[in-house]
Amino acid sequence: MVASGIMLLLLLVVTGRLVQLQWKQHEGLFLQAEENRMEMVPELPLRGEILDRHGVVLAQNRVSYRLSLIPERVEHLSATLDFLGAQLAWSTRQRQLIARRIRHHRPDRPVLLQDKLIWSRAAPIASRQYHWPGIEIEASSYRYYPFSKQTSHLIGYLALANRHDLHQGVHSGELVGRSGVERAFERQLHGTAGYRQEEVDARGRRVRILSREPSQVGKPVRLSIDIVLQQAASAALGSRTGAVAVLDVHSGEVLALLSKPGYNTNLFITGLEQARWNQWLADPSKPLLNRAIQAAYPPASTMKLITALAGFRFHAPLVHSTTVCKGFLTLADRKLRCWKHRGHGRIGITRAIIESCDVFFYRLGDQLGMAHLSVTARDWGLGERTGIELFGEVKGHIPGANPHHIREQRRWYRGEIMISAIGQGSVTTTPLQMARVAATIANGGKLLRLTLLANQPPQIERQIVVQGDTLQTIRQAMRHVVSSWSGTGHRALSQAKLATAGKTGTAQVVRTKRDAHGNKIKGRVMQRDRDHAWFMGYAPFQHPEIALAVFVEHGGHGGKVAGPIARAIIDAYAMEHAAKHPINSAHDS
Amino acid sequence: MSDIQPWYRPRPDLLLLLLVLLLAVVGMLTLYSAVHQGNHVLWWRQMQFWGLGLLVLMGCTLLPLRLLGLLIWPLFVVSLVLLVLVPLLGDVQMGARRWLTLGSFRLQPSELVKWSLMLLFVHWFASRSANHWRTLLPPLLACLIPIVFIVKQPDLGTALIILMEATALVIMAGFPWSWLLAMVLSSPLFLALMWHFMHDYQKRRVRTFLNPQADPLGAGYHVIQSIIAIGSGGILGKGFLHGTQARLHFLPEQHTDFIFSVLAEEGGLLATALLLLLFILLIGRILMIAAVAHTRFGALLCLGVASMFTIYTFVNIGMVSGLLPVVGVPLPFISYGGSALTTMLAATGLVMRVAFESRGNIPWQRPGSPLA
Repeated sequence: MVASGIMLLLLLVVTGRLVQLQWKQHEGLFLQAEENRMEMVPELPLRGEILDRHGVVLAQNRVSYRLSLIPERVEHLSATLDFLGAQLAWSTRQRQLIARRIRHHRPDRPVLLQDKLIWSRAAPIASRQYHWPGIEIEASSYRYYPFSKQTSHLIGYLALANRHDLHQGVHSGELVGRSGVERAFERQLHGTAGYRQEEVDARGRRVRILSREPSQVGKPVRLSIDIVLQQAASAALGSRTGAVAVLDVHSGEVLALLSKPGYNTNLFITGLEQARWNQWLADPSKPLLNRAIQAAYPPASTMKLITALAGFRFHAPLVHSTTVCKGFLTLADRKLRCWKHRGHGRIGITRAIIESCDVFFYRLGDQLGMAHLSVTARDWGLGERTGIELFGEVKGHIPGANPHHIREQRRWYRGEIMISAIGQGSVTTTPLQMARVAATIANGGKLLRLTLLANQPPQIERQIVVQGDTLQTIRQAMRHVVSSWSGTGHRALSQAKLATAGKTGTAQVVRTKRDAHGNKIKGRVMQRDRDHAWFMGYAPFQHPEIALAVFVEHGGHGGKVAGPIARAIIDAYAMEHAAKHPINSAHDS
Repeated sequence: MSDIQPWYRPRPDLLLLLLVLLLAVVGMLTLYSAVHQGNHVLWWRQMQFWGLGLLVLMGCTLLPLRLLGLLIWPLFVVSLVLLVLVPLLGDVQMGARRWLTLGSFRLQPSELVKWSLMLLFVHWFASRSANHWRTLLPPLLACLIPIVFIVKQPDLGTALIILMEATALVIMAGFPWSWLLAMVLSSPLFLALMWHFMHDYQKRRVRTFLNPQADPLGAGYHVIQSIIAIGSGGILGKGFLHGTQARLHFLPEQHTDFIFSVLAEEGGLLATALLLLLFILLIGRILMIAAVAHTRFGALLCLGVASMFTIYTFVNIGMVSGLLPVVGVPLPFISYGGSALTTMLAATGLVMRVAFESRGNIPWQRPGSPLA
């Protein structure tokens, strides 16, 4: 009896266990069984296209095949990699990198090995896929930039999602915009990932698809960029280092935004080789830097327009009278020089702008003081961001503009003020800011919020109040910079296809070496010691449409170097809009 | 033969046979579900094993117990010889050497050893009581020889079952309760000794049993997936052939040791309770036969078979549901495997013989009994 009791007890124990599992714990265990068999596989979306204002494609998707590998399904990893390496001609280094990537990857998710495979490369692998479990080949698309050379900084590049992106809900193996427009409009371009709910067996093989939600293509982005102007700017700048910004003066749309040297953005798609990236990083010409917005330079004589505007605004006596330029100005024991050593003679504000007389503006700045100068500069949008959507725009520096900064609260030395008045010293601006100053002068003081998107209603940041005919005076002077024989931009731009108004600038990089008699020491100037060349302006003069700023790093003289580039862009614009602007109307003023 | 009842007409115990056949139906259905996606051959093979096994059952039913007593020692020796041959000639499967190939037939001698050893115990204690060391020592020595070989194979499950069965039989053969208490108290020492002699993988299994979540993709995987399968079946189950854990191969060894999980997943608590009821009825019926057996040998034989079935069932279900470590014990009549099935049917046949030889002392064999 005891024996049979024990036997019954044992069987009741297991029965109790079954009641516990199948009744009490059923729900949790049922979910675990469902989790076991269900796999949510993301379906990656196609990225939206990037178009220029006329619909020309600047970034598109091309069909290719991507090879990936699911580590936990691979039976012999090294043999599999040998096979793939032989098919795809991997170098030893490449193979090591891939092996390392696989090691550090989640074993149950595909690791992207190679993208942009053409069919003739992918086919031999696809046909033997079943000998090598874990290998997956799927049709996909890759990003292609038809104007990679001309738009490298503007459009930017993509990179594989990193750990940070993965936390943001981006899926492994997806590409994410890392710079330029690709980054700025990432949310719009990216599209929405879909899902495939698959039933998988214990080895992770797909048994069937249970449900599916297709991915949604990213929305296209239509930029305000005119690729014709962008190309013209790129061609004109050539191999020189520099930046160009072209704006629509009424809408604040950016028509061209160029920085040189550029880099080939198409190389980023498969994952850039580390060596090349390092090379770019180490390159002294800093190809990764977008000089149009991410770097600020002394604006040099282009700043004189701001100084002149400040003069009118704060009624500096000098704007209504004249002074004498002897080629230099003595301040205590220092000599501040005008670029023209013979001097400009007796000179008023208009001629001072046309001929870019330094001495006149030293004196004007001296009368104004740093506070008035910096207030005006701030008013005209210097020292603040332009609102362009790109990442990493810098503000530049306007001395005395920040009342909270301890270094800005001190009294300024007269020399500092004078130097600032001609755009040297600690004043720095970005090429895009200077283009906006030109546009604001052209459109009558509407400081626009700049945008890269086409067909946006213009957003006016603020209306700058300018008394009387100040703007008219400044504009006339800028026109004469180009049209007068003595104007600094005459040689480069007087024959431009549209009547142009502008201002040149030559920013001193190092103090010119002089001998004991005060004469320049002649000889070859090192590239890195050469002056920066500037040109800012707008066209056509009568009814302004575009404003631009050209900056050439260590280019030399503004009128000689930056001027012709500006002309090439204005000519390209004129040709493009030839119907609107009969060529012979260029010299109507 | 004075106690032959006048109304007695010898016939087999049909209820026992019916229960076994019901188990056959449940087993073959579950096996079909476990193998229908791949190896249909196994199902047909198991069908043949049933045919063979039922023949063996009939043979054992016809075997007089007196004659059986003469066969026990030779049977034990033969099974020992086969067991010794395994390390020399056996097949290796899943790292363990357990099978002997005889033509197209693979024999697992450890199955045979369990039952012949059980018979040996029954035979020994049929004329002795287990209350003196002189009566206890010989069977325990007989027990140790096969255990040494089996542990070497290695097959912890069989060794465990032999030990449990030996203990059960010794207790049923009149082992004093005070001794038993002493043994229980000294068992930790024994366990420590066992731990010392275990293979690494066996130690790992025990550790995994104690904490399966510690290594969910490694050694604990089998148990975790099995528990998920059983639990996800719920009350009513997922339906015949619709168990995802089994169909998608998350469940390991699903036609042999883990076949119960297939049944539990697809049939739910309903099916598992039904199966356990069948086992309880079967074991209960055997115990009833033991109660009316004509000889001590017959009674002990029935008790031995009943405890054997109980131990198998308890260990198997306990292991697939995470109560016991995974030791590789089949579920009686349900798991795929010819050696186990045939020996179990043979044992059932012996029980039927005991019933047969009780010569009408069985109350429900009297005319007019509803169970007759």
